[in-house]
Amino acid sequence: MGFEAQVKKNKNTIYVPDIARITRIEYLSPTEKVFKIVFDDEEKRNSFSFKPGQFVELTLFGLGEAPFSIVSNPTNKDFFKLCIRNAGNISNALHRMVEGTKIGIRGPFGNGYFPYQKMKNHNVLLIAGGLGIAPLMSLIRYILHYREDYKEIMVVYGAVNPGSILFKNEIQYWSNRGDISLCLSVDNPDNKWTGEIGVCTKLIPRVDFPPEDTYVVVCGPPVMYKYVIYELEKKKFKPENIYLSLERRMECGVGKCNHCHIGDKLVCVDGPVFNLWEIRNLKEAL
Amino acid sequence: MLYKILEKDIYKDFIKALISDYEFIGPKKKDKSEHDFVLIKDISELDTNYMRTTIPPAKKILFPPDEQLVAYELGENINVRSVVESSKKILFGINAWDINGMNFLDKFFTTDFIDENYVAKREKLLVIGMDSEPTETNFSPSMGAEYAKDGFDIYLTELKNRYFVRIATPRGNEIVENYTKTRDVSGEDFKEYDKYMDDYRMKFKLDVAIKSFYDDFESIYNDREFWKRVAKDCYSCGSCNLVCPTCFCFNVKDDIELNLKSGKKIREWDSCMIPEYGLVAGGHNFRPDKENRLKQRYRCKLKTFIDKFGKYACVGCGRCIEACLAKINIAEDINSVKKEVSI
Repeated sequence: MGFEAQVKKNKNTIYVPDIARITRIEYLSPTEKVFKIVFDDEEKRNSFSFKPGQFVELTLFGLGEAPFSIVSNPTNKDFFKLCIRNAGNISNALHRMVEGTKIGIRGPFGNGYFPYQKMKNHNVLLIAGGLGIAPLMSLIRYILHYREDYKEIMVVYGAVNPGSILFKNEIQYWSNRGDISLCLSVDNPDNKWTGEIGVCTKLIPRVDFPPEDTYVVVCGPPVMYKYVIYELEKKKFKPENIYLSLERRMECGVGKCNHCHIGDKLVCVDGPVFNLWEIRNLKEAL
Repeated sequence: MLYKILEKDIYKDFIKALISDYEFIGPKKKDKSEHDFVLIKDISELDTNYMRTTIPPAKKILFPPDEQLVAYELGENINVRSVVESSKKILFGINAWDINGMNFLDKFFTTDFIDENYVAKREKLLVIGMDSEPTETNFSPSMGAEYAKDGFDIYLTELKNRYFVRIATPRGNEIVENYTKTRDVSGEDFKEYDKYMDDYRMKFKLDVAIKSFYDDFESIYNDREFWKRVAKDCYSCGSCNLVCPTCFCFNVKDDIELNLKSGKKIREWDSCMIPEYGLVAGGHNFRPDKENRLKQRYRCKLKTFIDKFGKYACVGCGRCIEACLAKINIAEDINSVKKEVSI
């Protein structure tokens, strides 16, 4: 009776970030940069590990905090990378930062991540719209690292125009590898564009992976999901094998501020990756 | 639960002793219609015969409107540390539905990740409950919250010339043993207590059709016209959230000193009714319309936590009904959902 919370007393509360440093900034496009981040504390550097699909909360001291998904390969130790579009208060400020800037990091967060273990010995279809490629990068890099554990891999990636295609060097490298197929599409081509034209949804009917042996992961702008799911279900992919990474406003990352709630699910704690079966009848999820 | 009887003639001495030894928070008359829970220095300030408090007492203490979470110093090395404030307090005179509201917050802030800022305050809070008169907007019996079965250390129920004392915790028992004298409860006492509770429950006049809400709500969820009607007058002001004993949404913001050398992270109450609540970087808003946000509030209060904790995030205190400038009435709306769905 009464209040007897079994509380594990930590040195720090859940709201205290660890100090890290931006060690490298790569320019991807006029609106996106990749930030390489290293923890100051050696113990933290060694203990930090994450799963594809998880995210961190990044603090710019004096400005505030925002959530970003990790794009680097989980097998990389000592550092991780975030791909950030200059779209909000924190991300705009981040784009003005230089290498060496000290930041705060909490995380990684998210109990829902891409099921990279379950996907082993199956085909994997990855569908990305725009900046949605970023959260998938971590998974793609992991799969390519352990390529022999997986069957066929296909990336379907739609961007607004050729200039907004992210990770061009890496995509070039994939096409040289030959063990990962790639479908690129842009809404607005320029006169040099020879690839597909239109939204990436249009490419799904051409996928010939057997539904019972395939995992699908999807990440893109909110409007994309409905159409992609419609196409995937026409192809008879199973809802429990379709994984979607959702975006919502987050203030805390630890299931307390409640901004990311969708019914009884919290995107920060239960997600950000959900399988379609979990959320297809959850009002307002998609 | 330990049951005891405290005679009325020694009640005042008991309270006086507690006031002199503890940081004692209790109800004090503010104006004609309202009381507020404040620090009580003298028993003459205390008025337990209250009906209405705007800000829920437990939430005010345990989850203050703004609260520092982190302090940092900038420089060659950045120094970050958590800030957790708590002090031993007695919260005296809180009623059953507000205790149940606090029980909800207890559960919420200790699920998944432990919120130590909340927990530290809660662990040091001694809760002494007492019934208060319900307002005409109170529907807590419908929500099962007019009676508190836990969450308090001591609960005092006023009978004719004595108090029926329920002691729920060892520390509550210690207080009773150290500060006053009680006697064991007799069958006669229980009888009178039972009668008192029957009469007390009769004082609540408002009833809501909550039993069928769980499924009915699903059926009406996509009825745009219905929700437009319900939310038509909403100003998206968030008053309902501020007065709610179970609302817990917050924003975290950084605040830096003018010297640019030190700063802090603060959390502030947020409101799911204001347009920015669902806004993300890039400008997409996941809950752009007021009808959508109001519907979402009802979902959170009346359904979400049935799925998660098996209990409502609403104790039926009726504060939001009184606080709403547009006279939006959750009790009426629960009943209209039932009416709309049933034949």
